[in-house]
Amino acid sequence: MSDLPAGALRVRPGEATVWPGLRTMVDGSLAHPAPALVATVTGIVNGITMIFGAAAIGWSTDHLIVPALAGNHVGRATWWIAAGAILGVSTLRWLTIMVRGIATGLVQHGSQADARRAVVHRYLDLSLAWHRRHPPGQLLSTAVADVDALWLPMIFFYFALGMATMLIVAIIQMFLHATVLGLIGLGLVAAVFGLNLLYQRLLGPRARAAQESRGRFGALALESIEGGQVVRTLGLADRERGRVGAAARGLRDANVSMGVVSSAFDPVIELLPTAAVLSVFAVGARQVESGDMSVGVLVEVVYLLLTISIPLNVISRFLGMMPVSTAGRTRIAAVLDSAETTSYGDRALAEDAGGGAVAVAVGTAVAGNAGPAGLGLRARGVGLVIGGTRLLAGADLEIRPGEIVALVGATGSGKSTLVDLLGRQTDPSDGVVEVGGVPAPELARGQLAAHLGIVSQTPWLFSGSVRENLQLDGHPREHRAYTDAELWSALGAAGADEVVRALPDGLDTRVGERGARLSGGQRQRLCLARALVREPGALLLDDATSALDPAVERDVLAALARLRGRVSVLIVGGRPSSVLVADRVAFLRAGRIAAVGTHAELLAAEPDYRRILRAYGHQGAGDE
Amino acid sequence: MSERGVGEGLADLGPARAGELLRLLRTTTPVLTSGLTLTALLALVAGAGRIVTPLTVQYALDHGLLHPHPGTADVVLRAVGIGAAGTVLAALASWWLNRRIFRRTETALAQLRADGVARIHEIQFERFGRLPSADLVSRLTSDLDAVTTFVQNGGVLLLVNAAQMVIAALLITAYSWQLALPALAAATLLLVVMRRIQAVVGRRFTVVRERVSAMQSVIGEAVTGIGVVRSTGTERRSRAAMDAAVEETAAAQRHTLVPLHTNTALGEVAISFITAFIVVAGVRWSTDHARWEPALHLSAGELVAMLLLVTFFVRPLQQLVQMLGEVQNAVAGWRRAMEVLATPSGVVAGPAARELPPGPIAVDLHDVSVAYGDNPPALRDLTIGIDPGEHVAVVGETGSGKSTFARLLTRQLAARQGRVLLGGVPIGQVSDLSFQRRVAIVPQDPFLFDASIADNILAGVRGDARALDEIVDSLGLRAWIETLADGLDTRVGVRGARLSAGERQLVALARTALVDPDLLVLDEATSGVDPATDVRVQHALGALTVGRTTVSIAHRMVTAEHADRILVFDHGQVVQNGPHGELVARPGRYAELHTVWVGHTLAGGPVPSPRDESAPRGCDERRGPTSTVRNDRSTP
Repeated sequence: MSDLPAGALRVRPGEATVWPGLRTMVDGSLAHPAPALVATVTGIVNGITMIFGAAAIGWSTDHLIVPALAGNHVGRATWWIAAGAILGVSTLRWLTIMVRGIATGLVQHGSQADARRAVVHRYLDLSLAWHRRHPPGQLLSTAVADVDALWLPMIFFYFALGMATMLIVAIIQMFLHATVLGLIGLGLVAAVFGLNLLYQRLLGPRARAAQESRGRFGALALESIEGGQVVRTLGLADRERGRVGAAARGLRDANVSMGVVSSAFDPVIELLPTAAVLSVFAVGARQVESGDMSVGVLVEVVYLLLTISIPLNVISRFLGMMPVSTAGRTRIAAVLDSAETTSYGDRALAEDAGGGAVAVAVGTAVAGNAGPAGLGLRARGVGLVIGGTRLLAGADLEIRPGEIVALVGATGSGKSTLVDLLGRQTDPSDGVVEVGGVPAPELARGQLAAHLGIVSQTPWLFSGSVRENLQLDGHPREHRAYTDAELWSALGAAGADEVVRALPDGLDTRVGERGARLSGGQRQRLCLARALVREPGALLLDDATSALDPAVERDVLAALARLRGRVSVLIVGGRPSSVLVADRVAFLRAGRIAAVGTHAELLAAEPDYRRILRAYGHQGAGDE
Repeated sequence: MSERGVGEGLADLGPARAGELLRLLRTTTPVLTSGLTLTALLALVAGAGRIVTPLTVQYALDHGLLHPHPGTADVVLRAVGIGAAGTVLAALASWWLNRRIFRRTETALAQLRADGVARIHEIQFERFGRLPSADLVSRLTSDLDAVTTFVQNGGVLLLVNAAQMVIAALLITAYSWQLALPALAAATLLLVVMRRIQAVVGRRFTVVRERVSAMQSVIGEAVTGIGVVRSTGTERRSRAAMDAAVEETAAAQRHTLVPLHTNTALGEVAISFITAFIVVAGVRWSTDHARWEPALHLSAGELVAMLLLVTFFVRPLQQLVQMLGEVQNAVAGWRRAMEVLATPSGVVAGPAARELPPGPIAVDLHDVSVAYGDNPPALRDLTIGIDPGEHVAVVGETGSGKSTFARLLTRQLAARQGRVLLGGVPIGQVSDLSFQRRVAIVPQDPFLFDASIADNILAGVRGDARALDEIVDSLGLRAWIETLADGLDTRVGVRGARLSAGERQLVALARTALVDPDLLVLDEATSGVDPATDVRVQHALGALTVGRTTVSIAHRMVTAEHADRILVFDHGQVVQNGPHGELVARPGRYAELHTVWVGHTLAGGPVPSPRDESAPRGCDERRGPTSTVRNDRSTP
């Protein structure tokens, strides 16, 4: 949780939620004008029908119920008007309820989809460094739950709009009947809104605290369950029960503290109209007694006040959703407003006849540093600092076109960091990475991906078939689908052809979520094949053969060696086998490049290097 | 609910009847089912308080306002006073009820959440392994959150509404059963039609949920695989997939709108027809009417009160039907959480459980076969004996059954056939208390808690800083730790994501070494570690393996070479068995694997220098005697 942007979780008592919330609703309406207009009109008409409904009841009381039951004759027309008015107003009302609901839904779901698209598109644009700081679960919840929360109040927006209109008309009408009735109405509305305002102020921070507690519990439960094996092996069940139990109790307390507020406010707000009705009777009785007011008017006002509980309730619920909506908006804004996107230039890497790439500006034909074959990569004084920790400093490394370079270093020396920088998975804090002679940030979007292949330490596959995982969008530069022959050839080079042949449906076997149906070694080989089939100018392999059997690894490395002269390759991993296929070796120590040279040079000059490379060899020799 | 076998997932409460669910509810969260009488009483008082208005109106109209005379106002004021008292009482009851229900539900939910996680750690390991973590977590988070949302956004209201509805119906009937009968019939018709439509709404919302879940998978894939998406430049593909999923969700949501809002409108239709009926029929039957019509003697006050009561009856009915979906949601969420608790604990304890003998643990397999699902067996007719304190290496190609063997020994998997004995005790009978911490596995991709390195290493013990320093030094991890800015206090991130794969393995090794197990299974436990560190750690583990049984699974032969004995797996069977020196000299699977390995390791060969042998040899000399002793002992 510590990685969240500070604003997302800060609880600000009394933070304005209503106006920004209303603005969001208006923005959503403007984005979907047709259904929004229908919803607004039907909402307002619906509000007015409630006034007419009360008037119809009042009129029926004065002209039908009271005279008829007092034994007076009531004309046939009066009967028809009474029944007709009640039914007619009601028809208009249920029609508007239906149309308003449907139109509202169209605006709401349309707005949700818009916001969701904006958020997920942003995810694709944000830099990998940003992604590393934001756990996927949190991003998922922003795209799904927070978007839902943001647009939740929309359900009641047009309803509330109509009800607000109704309230205004109703109070005017009550003033027209008698000033004192109008004052009671006004008092009721003021009391309900005042209480609601107070309610929101008290509830807002509590709602956010509850949401945080939910997040905390969720993260903890996920961690505990995912770590099930450790929990069992080390006998940590009691510790976990304690940890998770404490989080569950924290969530309970947060939810109860929300409940305590609403349990005090709900009954009061709900029963205020009853109190108003009783007041109307108390003051109205004298006016009826003195003949200043008809019983029908009194009944109409009572009916009005009772129906007023609906608009008050709706407006309250609308306002009640605002804090939740604001919390969602804050988190969505943190995503949309984050400036940490990867910036791109406008230069392109054009392919030369030999399959290598040269740099040109998009549209024009200005050539950059051309490589004879393969794509040259170069780090100039590259360093990276993350969260105050320096992971890499002043790294200079060139991978010449078509050259195979091995990157060796102890665990934690910064190998993966350097690979990330060379492949522009991260941008350096200082220094510059050049690809094909062009500073990486000057390359146009998609250029690196089209010319550079990366296979990372942890093999990751899309859920889908093997074929889909290899195809992706097809050949990145020729914009066509791969043929089966190309797929099999890449699989062969990656030592994966036999694996795929052994799968029940061959290329069309579904690999499961994140490739879960395959073993680590199988996944690794498919990831390698995925990179190879794209015929990159340069290939970065971050310990990409670690899970392979020695025999398979040997074959894969031999296939990579055959790429020499056509593809520049950086192989990370301290195993002698990979160093042997390399033209040159770079040795990393504690975040710095300690030496670059041939294997033999480094063996002679760098004791630490020797220690790593001969760690196994020495023992192997000892036994033979 | 089924509790048969281990081949299943969680208990299935889907077909369970209400009675059984209620029984479970009572046993798992007694706080919910106790004191229901008081709860019902409070709901009745709260509901009755709302009906004060129509009654006051009727009384005031009939006893004063319709025949105004001096003193009318006092009569009305008296009625108003009684009404006000009733209202205050109702408010108090409602407040008490709210608090009571919130508190009790949340207490129950907290208990379900905590007990749920605890039970998940007790479920038999093999069954647990088959359950997707995300599903388990959602059962204790979003599913139970649905209950909170329901209770806070109308669950309590529902209760009061129900009470209000019953009281309103009774009052209408008391005024005039002749008018009440058609009104109640219309309400019943309404209920039937609304429920029908609600069923349609429910089905369409099921589709919405499925689409949302599919959308979550698609978005989840894009954010977890963002690195691959970026490096392969397939943003367009991911964007298209996400856009499609978002649109499909929105389409499913729009599909719910017509039936949903038809249902809302129906309540109004019913209210207007019943109101018109009561006005017309009520007045007509109370005055001059045809002979076949009933004769009523309603006062104007009673009739007006009835008009109000209709609203008090139909509105809650309407809300009740509309909330049915949410009720179902909440119940379904609750049931899914309870399925976790209803899944039997796999903990071996009690009188039938047996203890492992003290000291290093012997392993004996007799004719053991293991298979995953309907697949061909991963291990076939395996008979192996490992002596207490022996260090056995397991080698073989991917898919030869090595990891299956590791999982079998650590009870993550049960044998289909044959017997597995640890220290002479059938593995299934070993008590959990005895098993924990004495039988440990370090997997290839170990799990770390989101805490500091120190916290992770000390997770299994009540150790102090000294124990921590000792283990770090004895495993030779000091040099690595010192490269970290925060040293042992470095936070490892969620699942240890801030460390490299090799670093995670080092932490896991230190953590496991510290609990000092008597049977240690290392499943490619150093595959991500650089060779120098690997060798250092292997040596250190060698020293640490004294006095315990160790099974190392590795594709790096260096591990095998220093074991007392090597088991060569091929297609689920042991094809070779013996010490390194013996096997390497004999043509066969092991010799082949070793030849390939030698190809790996000869890189350092060409440029020997006096200095470069010093460090490794130093290591070797340190552990030389140990290794000799162990070799001697284990040679038959």
